[in-house]
Amino acid sequence: MLNYILSRFKSSIVVLFVVSIITFAVLMIIPGDPAQLILGTEATPDVVQELHSAMGLDKPLYEQYGNWLINLLKFDMGTSYLYGESVTTLILNCLPITLSVALYSMIIATIIAFIFGIISAIKKDSVIDYFSRSIMQLGTAIPSFWIGMVFVVFFGLKLKWFPISGYVPASESFLGFIKSITMPSVVLAIGEFGLLLRIIRSSMQESISQDYMDMAKVKGLSMGKIYLKYALRGAMVAPLTIIGMQFAKLVGGTTVVETVFALPGLGRLVLTAVEHRDIVLLQGLVMFITSSVILITFIVDILIMFMNPRIKTFERGE
Amino acid sequence: MAKKKETFYKNSSMIIGLILVSCVLLICILSYFYMPYEPNEMNISDRFIKPSDNSEYILGTDNFGRDILSRIMIGSRTVLTVGIGSVCIGAFIGIALGALSAQFKRVVGSAIMRVMDGLMAFPGILLAMMLVTVVGRGAQGSIIAISIFMIPTFARLVNSMMLDTESLLYIKAAKSYGSTNMQIFFKHFIPAMLPKLITQFSSAVGSAVMIETSLSFLGLGIQPPNASWGLMLSEARQFFLQYPYLAVAPGIAIIMTVLGFNLIGDGLNDLLIKRRSKA
Repeated sequence: MLNYILSRFKSSIVVLFVVSIITFAVLMIIPGDPAQLILGTEATPDVVQELHSAMGLDKPLYEQYGNWLINLLKFDMGTSYLYGESVTTLILNCLPITLSVALYSMIIATIIAFIFGIISAIKKDSVIDYFSRSIMQLGTAIPSFWIGMVFVVFFGLKLKWFPISGYVPASESFLGFIKSITMPSVVLAIGEFGLLLRIIRSSMQESISQDYMDMAKVKGLSMGKIYLKYALRGAMVAPLTIIGMQFAKLVGGTTVVETVFALPGLGRLVLTAVEHRDIVLLQGLVMFITSSVILITFIVDILIMFMNPRIKTFERGE
Repeated sequence: MAKKKETFYKNSSMIIGLILVSCVLLICILSYFYMPYEPNEMNISDRFIKPSDNSEYILGTDNFGRDILSRIMIGSRTVLTVGIGSVCIGAFIGIALGALSAQFKRVVGSAIMRVMDGLMAFPGILLAMMLVTVVGRGAQGSIIAISIFMIPTFARLVNSMMLDTESLLYIKAAKSYGSTNMQIFFKHFIPAMLPKLITQFSSAVGSAVMIETSLSFLGLGIQPPNASWGLMLSEARQFFLQYPYLAVAPGIAIIMTVLGFNLIGDGLNDLLIKRRSKA
């Protein structure tokens, strides 16, 4: 068991290391001198040269990488030239928005996917099964920015249930906060629940076909109890993995939705950094988001290990 | 009875997918021979004509008075070129890297696979956005960014399939006959992997189209005045509260394309892989 945790931890660290090299390398080969970018075209060459060496850009690449990595470990990601603030502060300001939208949409997606997935598995080939499978296909094919625009027109403009755009902090008004993140969360949930539903349906079907289900039926237990207590329990592991993975993906994948609904979250910050070529900010953001994704995946894997006794005895046998 | 229904559902998803994709392909081919209007031609007197106005503009006009139908038609070229092109490049490099890492398992192989793991760890379109910063916007930048995005999926698939197939008897037999690695790869591995690769290819085109339209929507993909469906939606954003019809046609076009390729991928998966493993 400890072996499993250690081996998962080791591979997470390796991935994180590779990610840091990719991020650093990709953004280092960007055309143009970052010092020139910051100062603009009117700066004199002397001033540019001064900033160039102040930023450590004249040092060899491996030394630059090493310094950058050490600073990352100290949570010092440098200063954004666009905002003139430290990248850590900027990220911490935007994080609550993205996190609450991601969490909210994951809750919505999970509830819908479990309800339809379980019914689909029990009543295989029924109308509900076909319906939920069709919706599942459609959900993954609809671009979130498009459904977002449709929602804005329908629920925002016509029905006036939710504000069209903008964000209300929870400290200001809790109801306003929920209202402002409901539409973006639902839009994200539509894109997410398809895969989840597919997994729940297939793992539920598999667990229904197990021998212990027949045993439970022979014992005369009620069908509701059989499905919810035995079948669902056996079918929980795969969906949990997917929920973890999707939540992690959501943390990094909200740019489009945040743009549609004008939410000042992490995704918007990434877009701003890309638009203005703020490399320090972009590097920090990419590293922060990707490491959180790796961390979440790691935690989910460990949680699943505790739930599933079959993995507990797993030994890495490569 | 239930079995019949099941096969019908599977085949129907394949058929619907084929119909949707051929519609998009036809529109794209047609755009080379005939378009109702010049797609970039601005006509200020004809701004915001709705499709319901019964004018000669079937899908209406946008904020510059450009014909939406013509822009949808020329946009299909961008979407298909970027979508299919980037998956072709990504698949080619991915297959090569996957094969290489399966062949040289120790140092080279594990180094390649670790880099693939790293590339896959970037969530969603974050990697594509970062790459666009470096390679620049426009169709070319999108193709490069999306093809790099596609490499790890194919590399992993090929790597794992080759490791599975390697121990089979006919491969061992070919080796003992003195076939070179290249011969074995093209004569035996590729045919064995083809069903899964084709399936993966189709679904990958679906997601490539989704990434392309998302990048264009964010202003990081195709640049104006060129037409891309994502860009059309992005341009519609300023006006669609008054003129919701602006968002209808590009949205439906994207859904048709992505859904079509996804359904074909699913249908192929059932036809080529599941049925084979049952037999």
